Amino acid sequence: MTMAVAPARSAGPAAPDPVAMFTSMVLIRVFEERMMELRTAGEVIGPVHPYVGQEAIAVGVCAAMAPADFLVSHYRGHGHAIARGVDLDALTAELFGRAGGLCGGKAAALISDRRTNLLMSSGIVGAGVPVAAGAAMAAQVRGEPAVSVAFIGDGALGSGVVHETLTIAAVQRLPLVLVCEHNGYQAGNRTEEVYPEVSLLRLAEAHRVRAVGVDGNDVTAVAAAARDAVEFARGGGGATFIEAQTYLTRFHLQFERPSPEVRPADEMAAWRARDPIDTARQSSPLRDRLSDADVETIWEQARERVEHAVETARSCAWPAPEDAATHVWAEES
Amino acid sequence: MNEVGLLDLVLEEEFTRDPNLVFLATNSPASLRRRFGSDRVRICPISEQAMTGMAVGAAMSGLRPIVDLNRASFAMLVMDQLVNHAGRMHYLSGGQYRVPMIVTSATRGRQQLGPQNEQCPYGIFMQTPGLAVVVPGSLRDACALLRGATRWPGPVLYFVAPELNRQRGLSAALAAGPLPFGEAAHLRHGDAATIVAIGGAVKVAADAADALAADGVHCDVLDPRTLVPLDTAALAASVRRTGRLVFVDDGPRSGAPAQILSRLLDEPGVAVAVGGRIGFVCQPDVPVPSSPPLEEAMWPTEGRIRAEVQRVLGEPE
Ligand SMILES: Cc1ncc(C[n+]2csc(CCOP(=O)(O)OP(=O)(O)O)c2C)c(N)n1
Ligand SMILES: [Mg+2]
Repeated sequence: MTMAVAPARSAGPAAPDPVAMFTSMVLIRVFEERMMELRTAGEVIGPVHPYVGQEAIAVGVCAAMAPADFLVSHYRGHGHAIARGVDLDALTAELFGRAGGLCGGKAAALISDRRTNLLMSSGIVGAGVPVAAGAAMAAQVRGEPAVSVAFIGDGALGSGVVHETLTIAAVQRLPLVLVCEHNGYQAGNRTEEVYPEVSLLRLAEAHRVRAVGVDGNDVTAVAAAARDAVEFARGGGGATFIEAQTYLTRFHLQFERPSPEVRPADEMAAWRARDPIDTARQSSPLRDRLSDADVETIWEQARERVEHAVETARSCAWPAPEDAATHVWAEES
Repeated sequence: MNEVGLLDLVLEEEFTRDPNLVFLATNSPASLRRRFGSDRVRICPISEQAMTGMAVGAAMSGLRPIVDLNRASFAMLVMDQLVNHAGRMHYLSGGQYRVPMIVTSATRGRQQLGPQNEQCPYGIFMQTPGLAVVVPGSLRDACALLRGATRWPGPVLYFVAPELNRQRGLSAALAAGPLPFGEAAHLRHGDAATIVAIGGAVKVAADAADALAADGVHCDVLDPRTLVPLDTAALAASVRRTGRLVFVDDGPRSGAPAQILSRLLDEPGVAVAVGGRIGFVCQPDVPVPSSPPLEEAMWPTEGRIRAEVQRVLGEPE
């Protein structure tokens, strides 16, 4: 079952463009802030799990992926989708519950997108991990070089099936990259209240899966770690578990009112000072490559892009009630 | 707990009465934890299968655990512990072991949580012997049945509709004593048709019956309250008298309604009395979509219930 291929490091994809990554992070930030507003206004439907504060992880990881690679996300998936290149208009229309949305309004945030190989964004914590492993197995069986990437929160390590899958991934050398976005909270609980230790690397190591820690607010570091993991998997080396330390500065969840969550002020301040977008802006190479005016243009273009998506979503029709019963069953092909 | 905060107060009272009660969840009520300590009131990681299995073991060892799964969709994660273990150990051990535990969760609400997290799976557990299945139809019954569950000798699955949280009469609800299982509530009386309504759909069914009564059509409205054990006698007596039967449920038609129907058809005289005059106002057998106009088609409404009762009334005797 295991592939006895040595992890041949290929030249790999070109190093990602820092300006493109910065631009993508800004787009996610603007999008998320706008979606929260529009949820409060009642235009966006369902629960909104904002990705604000974690943008560097989605962007850095997706920059390392090839088009044929697989992606598995979860309920906090807008950032993953945008970084992966999911069509922003169709994503927004889906969050508005419209017929023209990515999944016809059935999914809201729990999207799939075949065009970008986004298999699912599950609402069940941990459930996407074996699914991503299955996609990795498919690549292995067909002898294709595709790698499967799954994003999970730190909370997913509570789920047994994640551990089961890590064991299988190690033994079967699956081309799988598990990206654990460790933000220190699992809904209302702080992670140290429910886990024996805060570092999750040793959990992955215990399953004999290659484990790498990275600063999740540093997009360059995330991109490098992801690139390494993807190449390792593509070369037959097997799975990697990346633990990216980060923080949700706009909290866990909102419905029709902004999140009432209260967190320690010093903790908030410390993480705000390490905002991933500011961090990227102030570090080389962007410090020298972008003027303040360039940066303002990037923000302005992101706002325009998001407004365009919002206007498009508003103009989309609602689905017809009878559409509720479509797609329950696959048709014979 | 779940979506219905009043149940926390019920638990506090029951925790005071019974020192064997313990609570496991990813999110346990702060007041319960403060009063009874982290030994009895535990916060766990997102490990539903482990929590449920621990409850089985604790129940077999003298405690009476409550696991709050939060969403009924998470019952799917713990099927093995519920079906193969909690529900079977008394049988498997030849009656040596009891498994008195309660698993609570919230069913569908109007929050557009989508196809995965908007579910009423109680019908599934009507075919898994050994598990009591409780689905309160009012806030008062929610409190009284939770008290009843803390006295039941075996495993109980307790499904509460978030909708009940909107009902008034909190102090009366809290004051209600424990309700025994297997006793339907007879909410409206009439000979035109029998409406069997479940959980979050009970109120809308009663409202529809009131509207029909204003038009001179008087229906029986029965809320089984516990699906297992089921008060077949009360339901069958009503159907034998009215000869017409309409199910109203937030859950899928093939779930609880289909199972209750099959139980009733086993009762002497029911099949003949009801003929083909049977109606359903339920979630169709499709997942619950997120988009509001799609989701709207998934709810029993007063209009749909009235139309279905009228349709069944129009069927020949
Ligand atoms: C199996 C399961 N149990 C409980 C939940 C409810 N829930 C939704 S998000 C969440 C917290 C998840 O925390 P984490 O994995 O750290 O991700 P984060 O939200 O911090 O990004 C919980 C408990 C769920 N969705 N799935
Ligand atoms: Mg987390």
